[in-house]
Amino acid sequence: MRTASINSAGAFRKQVVDFTLSVPVQATLYTSLCALTLWTLYFSSYPPAHNSLHEVRHHTLMVGCH
Amino acid sequence: MLTLRFGRVGLSPALLAIFLGVFSSVSDSWATPNHQKLPSSVNPQTEIRTDVNAGKSLVPASGNSPQLVTASLGKARVKLTTPPINQVLPNDKPVSLAVQAVDQQGKPLTNAKIQLAIFTPSKTPWFSTDFPIVEGTQLLNLEAIALSGKLQVQQVLPIRGNYQLIVDVQPLDGKSFQATRQVLKFSVPENPVKYRNFAILAVILLCAGGCGGWVIGGKQVIQPGEIAPQQVRLLLSGVIIIAIASLLVVNISAEFAESHQHQHQAPHNQAKNQLSLPLNVQWLGDDSTHVGQLAVMGVKLTDPKTGIAVKDVDLKIKAIQLEHDQTVFVYQGLSDVNGKLIWQQQFFDGASHQVEVEVSPKAGAINKFPPFTFFKEIEVEGIAPPLMGRFISLGYFTAILVVGLLLGLWLRRDRIFRASASCR
Repeated sequence: MRTASINSAGAFRKQVVDFTLSVPVQATLYTSLCALTLWTLYFSSYPPAHNSLHEVRHHTLMVGCH
Repeated sequence: MLTLRFGRVGLSPALLAIFLGVFSSVSDSWATPNHQKLPSSVNPQTEIRTDVNAGKSLVPASGNSPQLVTASLGKARVKLTTPPINQVLPNDKPVSLAVQAVDQQGKPLTNAKIQLAIFTPSKTPWFSTDFPIVEGTQLLNLEAIALSGKLQVQQVLPIRGNYQLIVDVQPLDGKSFQATRQVLKFSVPENPVKYRNFAILAVILLCAGGCGGWVIGGKQVIQPGEIAPQQVRLLLSGVIIIAIASLLVVNISAEFAESHQHQHQAPHNQAKNQLSLPLNVQWLGDDSTHVGQLAVMGVKLTDPKTGIAVKDVDLKIKAIQLEHDQTVFVYQGLSDVNGKLIWQQQFFDGASHQVEVEVSPKAGAINKFPPFTFFKEIEVEGIAPPLMGRFISLGYFTAILVVGLLLGLWLRRDRIFRASASCR
């Protein structure tokens, strides 16, 4: 019983690792991180981000500022 | 138990769709509802009245000559003179808009009352401008006495697109000519710099996506003791470093910008009106407003000794955005019989503005006084763009990144396949 539970835990861990390292998940993580960076730079209303990139936002197509 | 075959199912588009779908259900409570509010006398959908002798509207011609747009309506006509399109940029210098009332023969009509209403282009949520709150709103509403039949303003046009100018012309005596209303259009092209910057950003996103796809698409070999392939670790570490660096630059720049702004505020706060003015000037307008809203602006001039309203005084109005010292509106007119000059104006930038009213006696006036300037500071509250519009634009940028990612994946897999095929 104990051996079976250890084996199932090991198999579950391996499944999680395989899932995490799969191409779609990696691609999703990478895309999400880049999208978050884009949001911070171009779309966030957080005053430091807005004020420091104010002119860049106004001079980039499809980026709303006010 | 749900089994996901990751070799066949692409999760990135699905997750992105869920991400956007969740936030699309959030109402735009961050932004004030932006409904186009029109005065009862102004309706941009009014049909243009024509008679048998009415001509057709002339399409503005492109080129270097000043543009002339004429629309015929009854006995009176309105001519709009604007700079050539290639000299007009959004959110740049004030654009001179001159409206002249003429009769059927093209002779200027005198002693007219002209009301000018300027409306910004319609909303474009799928192709946002940099002032989305301003889209589909009224920019100016000005009624003035035009003794020569001409009304001229200089107004910064904040966004690209087709502006509507609704002009109402009435005779001062009520009978010398037929009152008329005309709807004119004026088109402003987008700033070409924006297209260039967008192209640069698109190339950067494609390269970033391609590099990411190239690394992720490689053979994922995990060495003993590792939790992830080295290439993936390097890629994600690199992106995290870039994100950290970006946030550092943003926050440090913001600190310097904030200290610079505080230094600039002191001189403007020190600007005051003279203690004693030749005429009493009473401010009739709003002290504060917000982007997307028409604010009432106005002054009333009275004699300081008798308290009687002073009419026919030359007034030069100038509105300045204080953050960048940008002149956004200029108008020169006369005070009416009640000594007032009132207009409605939208301040499209969320920053402090200053309205300067230069008062001087009209040429040939009996009562002379030394010209003076009255200052009024207006606080304009900025409003964050609608969340949905920002998500749409972010979606476009992310889509470019995903295209690069897929391209990188495909190129890497193709290379691996060819390499393995050549080995056999």
